[in-house]
Amino acid sequence: MAEDYEPRIVAFLCKWCSSAGSDLAGVSRMEYPPNVVPIQVMCSGSVSPLYIFSAFNKGADGVLVSGCHPGDCHYIKGNYYARRRLNLVKNLLEFVGLEPQRFRMSWVSAAEGTKYTQVIKDFVKDLKPLGPQTKLRRIS
Amino acid sequence: MEKTLPKKHFSQWLKSLTSRRVYVPRKDEDGRWNYAEADGGEAALEVLQTTLPPKKILFPQREVFLEFTQSREGQQETLELKDVLPEVRPTVIVGVRPCEARAAWLLDEVFSGEFKDVYYWKRRDETALVGLACTTPPSEHCFCTSVEGSPHSVEGLDLLLTDLGDRYYVQVLTPKGEKLVAAAKTLFEEPKPEVVKQAKAVQADSNKKIKRQLKDARPIAEKLKGMFDSTLWDEESMSCLRCGICTYLCPSCHCFDINDEVESPAPLRGQRVRTWDTCQFPDFTMHSSGHNPRPDKASRLRQRLLHKFQYFVQVYDRFMCVGCGRCIALCPVGIDIIKVLDKVKENGA
Amino acid sequence: MAKIEDLKEEAKKLLREGKVKYIIGYGAGTNGWPAAPLFVKTPEEVDRLVWDPTCVHNLVRFLVDEKRRKSRQKQPDKRPVGIVVKGCDSRAVVVLLQEKFIDRGDVFILGVSCEKAGVVDDSKLARKLGGKKAKKVAVNAENRFVVTTEDGEVEASAEELLAERCLECKANFPVVYDLLSGAKTKRPLDKPFGSLDKMEALSSEERWAFWKAQLDKCIRCYACRSACPMCYCDECVVDSINLAVTADTTADEKAQRIRWVQRSTESSENMVYHLVRAMHLAGRCIDCGECERVCPLDIPLRFLNKKLEKEAKELFGYEAGFDADLPALVSCFRDEDPQDFIR
Repeated sequence: MAEDYEPRIVAFLCKWCSSAGSDLAGVSRMEYPPNVVPIQVMCSGSVSPLYIFSAFNKGADGVLVSGCHPGDCHYIKGNYYARRRLNLVKNLLEFVGLEPQRFRMSWVSAAEGTKYTQVIKDFVKDLKPLGPQTKLRRIS
Repeated sequence: MEKTLPKKHFSQWLKSLTSRRVYVPRKDEDGRWNYAEADGGEAALEVLQTTLPPKKILFPQREVFLEFTQSREGQQETLELKDVLPEVRPTVIVGVRPCEARAAWLLDEVFSGEFKDVYYWKRRDETALVGLACTTPPSEHCFCTSVEGSPHSVEGLDLLLTDLGDRYYVQVLTPKGEKLVAAAKTLFEEPKPEVVKQAKAVQADSNKKIKRQLKDARPIAEKLKGMFDSTLWDEESMSCLRCGICTYLCPSCHCFDINDEVESPAPLRGQRVRTWDTCQFPDFTMHSSGHNPRPDKASRLRQRLLHKFQYFVQVYDRFMCVGCGRCIALCPVGIDIIKVLDKVKENGA
Repeated sequence: MAKIEDLKEEAKKLLREGKVKYIIGYGAGTNGWPAAPLFVKTPEEVDRLVWDPTCVHNLVRFLVDEKRRKSRQKQPDKRPVGIVVKGCDSRAVVVLLQEKFIDRGDVFILGVSCEKAGVVDDSKLARKLGGKKAKKVAVNAENRFVVTTEDGEVEASAEELLAERCLECKANFPVVYDLLSGAKTKRPLDKPFGSLDKMEALSSEERWAFWKAQLDKCIRCYACRSACPMCYCDECVVDSINLAVTADTTADEKAQRIRWVQRSTESSENMVYHLVRAMHLAGRCIDCGECERVCPLDIPLRFLNKKLEKEAKELFGYEAGFDADLPALVSCFRDEDPQDFIR
């Protein structure tokens, strides 16, 4: 595909940990690929499967959901629910034939600016060879 | 005009039509039949009933009406509306049942009148229907003869083929039909009188083969006028799942929904799209105030039956039901329109 | 298959004593399929009830209708409704109880056991009979199906005619009941989730090709949703109509109202609709097979739900429809839930 293909990633980041982690990466002037559209949610547990399907439907090449580490959720249990629910989403998407690398989850705490940049770098690197996502995207 | 077409010439005739888009009944791996593009392939004419009727070709599930785009230049905002008319190639649907063509004839009435539906007519004008008379009923639930149709009716058709064993008896019914014959006129023959006699006998015989009867359809239509508040509808609709299959697969049902599908809100860009809808869905009649005049299954079953057997008769003097039997065969809970109408007849007697 | 004489006696008693409003069961069908749902209101009508391998329908859907009917009445009749359930259907009742959609006192459950047999699949039956119509289907002493057509009898093995889901049956007799007709036998099972093996062995691209071809057929008639007892939402996520449009509603508001899925039958929209439905049924689907049975285009919908059923069992040890006191699959968690997929 085109040399200049840049995958677009939609990232649902929980406000208390992952979003803060991404802010830390920014404030610390860490460099990481600019392919991410960050959407701040209150908790990774509040991410509905619909958001993920909708992101792919609108053309996202990759979707990331990132939350607090187990035991550290601001709302105590939200990330445990996310862990279960999004595992099901991931397996369902793979089952219908979406490339497994396109959807991923991570635990990123507010202090892990570096980890956040690594997660994004890895994601972009894994998405580039796959090309644009056309399977769930609404082409009209 | 009448002709005969030897069966051995049938494939050749189809090939002569390749400048047009040709649809024929095709079987899929599950053994279900549906109209699909012939794509130059073979087409065996058989008397069978497809799952989806040809209305999906004349009146597709999804139809774009117009496209809207908003553009901004400084402070100036303009909204551009672009009409989208379907681009239609001349089309032929081969192997249509006479009841399905009759349904097209009914749809022609609905989409004409004071406001002609340009999208429907753009397709209809370019489409020719070549029917195959039902020498045997394609479904055990056929009852076309009870609703003023027949296994060899000609309404809506451009050509009607009747199978006589080694050849087809061809009735040429419209100028469109004449063009199809003229495309390969050497393949057609002039009919001999005994062949015509045989064809008429086969057709008369096919009427007798229809097993299911709905007696006194016209008096039932009259009686329905007084049955709006009857408790019959509640009893008969108890097992209805309001799945909508009866209306989606009906050759003459034509209710639709129009939605604006927005691709991007800023700058605004999208399409206005028409899709199939059904009176059997609970929110078909939902008002934006939240009130729903047909909130229960009884009122929706009543609506379907009255629309087919009374309202349409009142407005167009024809039954909207063509007696194909799909709603009976495919209803998951076995609601049988003939049995319900029989109960209407007996009601209060 | 159980003989339901005891069930009929109980049904007559319930109706005579006015203990139930009506009984939902199976009766003779008129549209070519031998059985159809039957609503029995008087003791005299009870003899019309039947029970045989053609009773494929999941009657629990009508409990949802009953609740809706009651909500529209000013002074609803609060007596319970009697319902005939098979093993699989009873699991649907358990899910409705678990979700507090109905109370235990709203239903009088007349359970029937499939007794080592099950229900027949309509396409398998049609293929076996080669165009002839089945008038009656019964199970003989050797557990073989005996089909009566207008030309005589045809015998077939269980595997030839049983519905696919019966081959993976988890509940051969009802798990909850007020009366059980028939013995509590178990069918020897095929490998659980064996039907998914072939699909999971395919590559990503092959699976996509399969699902795209199947879901492109979808005409969005929503019959699958209408037939499912668990799809009881008053407003489904795909029918987002909850925007009160007044004279003051601006074009922007109308344009920007949330539409998760468009009404159009485009590939992507059909795909998202079915994925959302599968997710909403995760941990709730009990594989009654109605969605696949009613689909007029023969889309193999059960596979989507089966996959999530497998994940629920293998990853989280969760099975739907056995214990009404369990929380829903997605509103509970275990400390040991797998997280190796999380970076």
